[in-house]
Amino acid sequence: MKNLSNRFTLFSLFLVMITFSVTTQAAGPKISLDDANNDLRDVQSLQRGAMLFTNYCMACHSVKYMRYNRIARDLGWTDEEVVKKMSRGLSRPVDYVMTSMSEQVQLAAFGTLVPDLSLTSRVKGTDYIFTFIRGFEQDEEGNWDNAVIKGTSMPNVLAGLKKTSTEEEYDQATRDISNFLEYVGDPSKIKRWDLGWKVMLFLFVLFVLAYLLKREYWRDIKS
Amino acid sequence: MSSPEKKPDSSLYAWVDARFPVTSTWNKHIGEYYAPKNFNFWYLFGSIALLVLVNQFVTGIWLTMSYKPDALEAFNSVEYIMRDVQWGWLIRYMHSTGASAFFIVIYLHMMRALLYGSYKKPRELVWIIGMLIFVVLMAEAFMGYILPWGQMSYWGAQVIISLFGAIPLIGPDLALWIRGDFIISDVTLNRFFALHVIALPLALIILVFMHIVALHEVGSNNPDGVEIKQYKNEQGLPIDGIKFHPYYSVKDLVGVVGFLFIFVFIVFYMPEGGGYFLKGSNFVPANPLVTPEHIMPVWYFAPYYAILMAVPDKFLGVLAMGTAIAVLFTMPWLDRCKVKSIRYRGLSYKLLLTMLVVSFCALGWLGTLPATPESTQLSRVFTITYFAFFLILPFTSARERTKPVPERVT
Repeated sequence: MKNLSNRFTLFSLFLVMITFSVTTQAAGPKISLDDANNDLRDVQSLQRGAMLFTNYCMACHSVKYMRYNRIARDLGWTDEEVVKKMSRGLSRPVDYVMTSMSEQVQLAAFGTLVPDLSLTSRVKGTDYIFTFIRGFEQDEEGNWDNAVIKGTSMPNVLAGLKKTSTEEEYDQATRDISNFLEYVGDPSKIKRWDLGWKVMLFLFVLFVLAYLLKREYWRDIKS
Repeated sequence: MSSPEKKPDSSLYAWVDARFPVTSTWNKHIGEYYAPKNFNFWYLFGSIALLVLVNQFVTGIWLTMSYKPDALEAFNSVEYIMRDVQWGWLIRYMHSTGASAFFIVIYLHMMRALLYGSYKKPRELVWIIGMLIFVVLMAEAFMGYILPWGQMSYWGAQVIISLFGAIPLIGPDLALWIRGDFIISDVTLNRFFALHVIALPLALIILVFMHIVALHEVGSNNPDGVEIKQYKNEQGLPIDGIKFHPYYSVKDLVGVVGFLFIFVFIVFYMPEGGGYFLKGSNFVPANPLVTPEHIMPVWYFAPYYAILMAVPDKFLGVLAMGTAIAVLFTMPWLDRCKVKSIRYRGLSYKLLLTMLVVSFCALGWLGTLPATPESTQLSRVFTITYFAFFLILPFTSARERTKPVPERVT
């Protein structure tokens, strides 16, 4: 019996030890992401984000799951406006938002295909996008690199913007781009948020009524 | 079930009833099905599981209208549903959240059976059919998870199917036969789609039907674990029984609406379920050439996955995983205690059941973590305690110090 309780103590100690080692393991090195602090309900920000995306990203990147007319509808533009603003009138409103850079050119320029950005916010998160596009640094020799993705083939396309704008303007611009990319990740989000509480309110009322109905019926039952 | 004082009726209803057992079926299963009057919270999950099944069927049918089971089109078609199909996002989130909800509800439903001894005589078949439902549900969920054709769909399936390859002799051929190809490909996607939308749902619906028929044959258990059929009134009806309808139909309605409240909250405000219901890396299209850093099983498979990873040998791991599920089928015979409900059972069962639940939850948590030597060690400990429940139970339950069981429900 004594032997058994000894074993039990040893076993418990062992348990505590491994639990501890697992918890210490979990706190590994990781890049800390900056908070994009974007607001999907800010239509002005989304419109600016769409324009910044058009001017700075769309030369190479597509958002191939978004149609121009969907963006128009959600961002408060007309169909004519959206194609004029985002593709110089070269696309139809029903078209998907595609870059005009061909795959051969992408391979020649970057040695890899340029990723589509429709779902980047869902895969990596909005803060990741925000941190990445602001994460370009130049070393002493003048070579660019990115703190989030070391050795990325993407050039620092926002270098010019950063030079010509104030810090607040630059923060706002990068936030707008991140905001737009979060929007394209799941464009029905706002609709979802606006509808959900109404459904829950209905269910709450139904719950009260169902409960009262149950109580009424169960008055017959003696416990 | 026909009552003698009923007047002959010339209505359409009577015409049908004379040719098809509408009234008698309704009465047998709903209108005059007598259930114990002391059901508690735990008894809601059967009805809720049925509701989730209906949700999966209805949303599944509508998803099928726009989904394309084609390796080149599958991923795109899901995004098409999310963006271009009217209310497609709602249908998709209801289906994906429904899958997780199904397992939460089923695990709680099984927990109820363990708490109140619902698997014991005369309900062994109810339990076994229920376990078959659980196994088919796991296959159904696994095959459904491959359909969005994301990275985690692809590599999750890769891991699971490769398990069959670990079986000696026939393994590699078996895995090839399941995939229909040397790697997971369009062929695999097509057959999994067929199984997911036709074969397995059909099996599910038949099993659920049998589960309910078997239950209504022997009658429902209750939190006191006493048989209400022992005490009947002059009409031969159980004194402690009440009609399912209206008493439990209205009570379950309260539970169902409460469940929907939580369900709707998840669908509208956190459909990814913190990465557990929909994983971020599954929004990357499947790529056979790029293995993700961390292949995480869906949460409801995680306990079994942790058991698999805990065993050093691959085939023995597969065996352990299979046994972890299969052993549950034998619960009616492993548990030799005559007392059903945990309310009147001895300390040993309470401790053992706690150990099982803690092990299961811990394994579920460990199964979702990236494998480290430490997490594997911890999985081993909990794998042992998981199986210990089933090994110790036959010995302790035979001579358990139980409390006196009341004659009738309390």
